[in-house]
Amino acid sequence: MSADERIIEAREIAKTFPGGVVALDRFTLAVRRGEVVVIIIGPSGSGKSTFLRCLNGLEEIDGGSIVIDGIPLDHHRKNRLLIRQEVGMVFQSFNLFPHMTVRENIDLAQIRVRKKTRTDAAETTMSLLAKVGITEKADRYPHELSGGQQQRVAIARALAMSPKVMLFDEATSALDPEMIGEVLDVMRTLAAEGMTMVVVTHEMGFAREAGDRIVFMENGRIVEEGETERFFAAPREERTHAFLGQIL
Amino acid sequence: MKRGMTPLHLRSAAASRAALIDYGKFFLLAGLAVWLLTLGTRGMGYNWQWYRVPRFLFTTEGGVWAAGPLLQGLWVTLEISLLSLLCTLILGLTAALFRLSDSFTARALARGYLELIRNTPLLIQIFFVYFVISPVLDIGAFASAVLALSLFEGAYAAEILRAGIVSLQRGQWEAAHCLGLGLFDTYRDVILPQAVRRVLPPLAGQGISLIKDSSLVSTIAIYDLTMQGQKIVSETFLAFEIWFTVAAIYLVMTFGLSFAVRALEHRMNGFPIRGAGGIA
Ligand SMILES: Nc1ncnc2c1ncn2[C@@H]1O[C@H](COP(=O)(O)OP(=O)(O)OP(=O)(O)O)[C@@H](O)[C@H]1O
Ligand SMILES: [Mg+2]
Repeated sequence: MSADERIIEAREIAKTFPGGVVALDRFTLAVRRGEVVVIIIGPSGSGKSTFLRCLNGLEEIDGGSIVIDGIPLDHHRKNRLLIRQEVGMVFQSFNLFPHMTVRENIDLAQIRVRKKTRTDAAETTMSLLAKVGITEKADRYPHELSGGQQQRVAIARALAMSPKVMLFDEATSALDPEMIGEVLDVMRTLAAEGMTMVVVTHEMGFAREAGDRIVFMENGRIVEEGETERFFAAPREERTHAFLGQIL
Repeated sequence: MKRGMTPLHLRSAAASRAALIDYGKFFLLAGLAVWLLTLGTRGMGYNWQWYRVPRFLFTTEGGVWAAGPLLQGLWVTLEISLLSLLCTLILGLTAALFRLSDSFTARALARGYLELIRNTPLLIQIFFVYFVISPVLDIGAFASAVLALSLFEGAYAAEILRAGIVSLQRGQWEAAHCLGLGLFDTYRDVILPQAVRRVLPPLAGQGISLIKDSSLVSTIAIYDLTMQGQKIVSETFLAFEIWFTVAAIYLVMTFGLSFAVRALEHRMNGFPIRGAGGIA
């Protein structure tokens, strides 16, 4: 596999937090162009969030290299900015801007970063809201929405940048059970459209059905990875067996 | 829904009774204060001559309305206060952003400024600016006054704004980061609107301090409200009447500012201050 066949390439990345916690230990993961959903699972504290956060520069890596869509995440400001613009992220805690309406949340980056006109931005915003199914809330503030609706707005906001890759860090973990489905539905739609997504989740049903590949990590390393069906049907590692046994 | 449990008519009756008692207490205390004052000044044998005060506020010579010395002073105080308020906000914001900057030089500069200003008396700062800095910059007393006041209040405004900025959840910064927003856009669109909204009450307090502190510029021969009052008192010996009048004028100004800020706060009430934007 040559370098430009990969949309994400993380090689031997290392991350140690100030307290001395090794969150990523020579972690290597590549995602091919055309590969749609890569699911990352693992016990709490295994470094899943840290990995996603390194991919878009939210955390600095201590070693190794990250290349996204051919752009190295190095010390050049230009490259870092480009990567931030090409990688969308959805957080467990939504992180919508509370002082802006739904519409303004989604317009913002289109106008400020993509330099679109207000009319163009508004058009994109409405079509994104239609995609996530909440056009009627366009002029509401985030606190007037349910958790599921807020998360769908957050997804629409990230999509407004037309990213090449979307990262989801436990996007449904903060939601009441009855709202999980609506967010997963949006994610399924994105997968069907071929959006490359790296998804950290505890929703094994979703992982099985939407994932192309499953990566199981622990202590900042990959324990086992494989094509979804094979991974769940016949895990090779002892640790994987044990972990799946616990959560399934 | 606790509020819904009390029937509306009962609640409003109880509320108006409470308000009545509250007003009663207020007038009782106010009356007590006036009584003490009269007692005190009578003991001194003070001769009240309120009828002589209006002519210092305005004159109507020949049917033409003109501002008296007190209103002229008020105008100067307003000019100085408004200009300084503007500069205070600009300076405060700059210093706050410097303190939060990644650059060591910027942080050190901001720290030095804040410590220097907050640990020395305003009066000395005013003298310093007027006698030492103004000849160098070739500026007059008025500009010196604005400069000194802005430098002083700006240091406090900086700390208030900084507190507001760091009180925001990290997720707000991270969301802006992931959307590819630059630092300037992040501050302008995401961080400052929320931070300023949170610190509006203490910021207003600082504005009120500024108005009151502006009375110190009378020491560098600026004919502001306080200076005019002083001059009238020394010429007429109407000490209590004039000083009470001057104080009342300051009160009107500070109340005016509080009121304006309260209205602004009300307008910004479209979103809650805390607990918005999800958990964490
Ligand atoms: N800012 C930080 N400072 C210090 N240690 C941190 C920080 N962030 C994460 N860690 C530590 O790094 C390790 C990996 O954390 P990370 O959040 O990546 O785990 P995770 O797999 O996402 O876990 P979870 O399933 O609980 O979200 C943990 O031991 C965590 O305590
Ligand atoms: Mg996590």
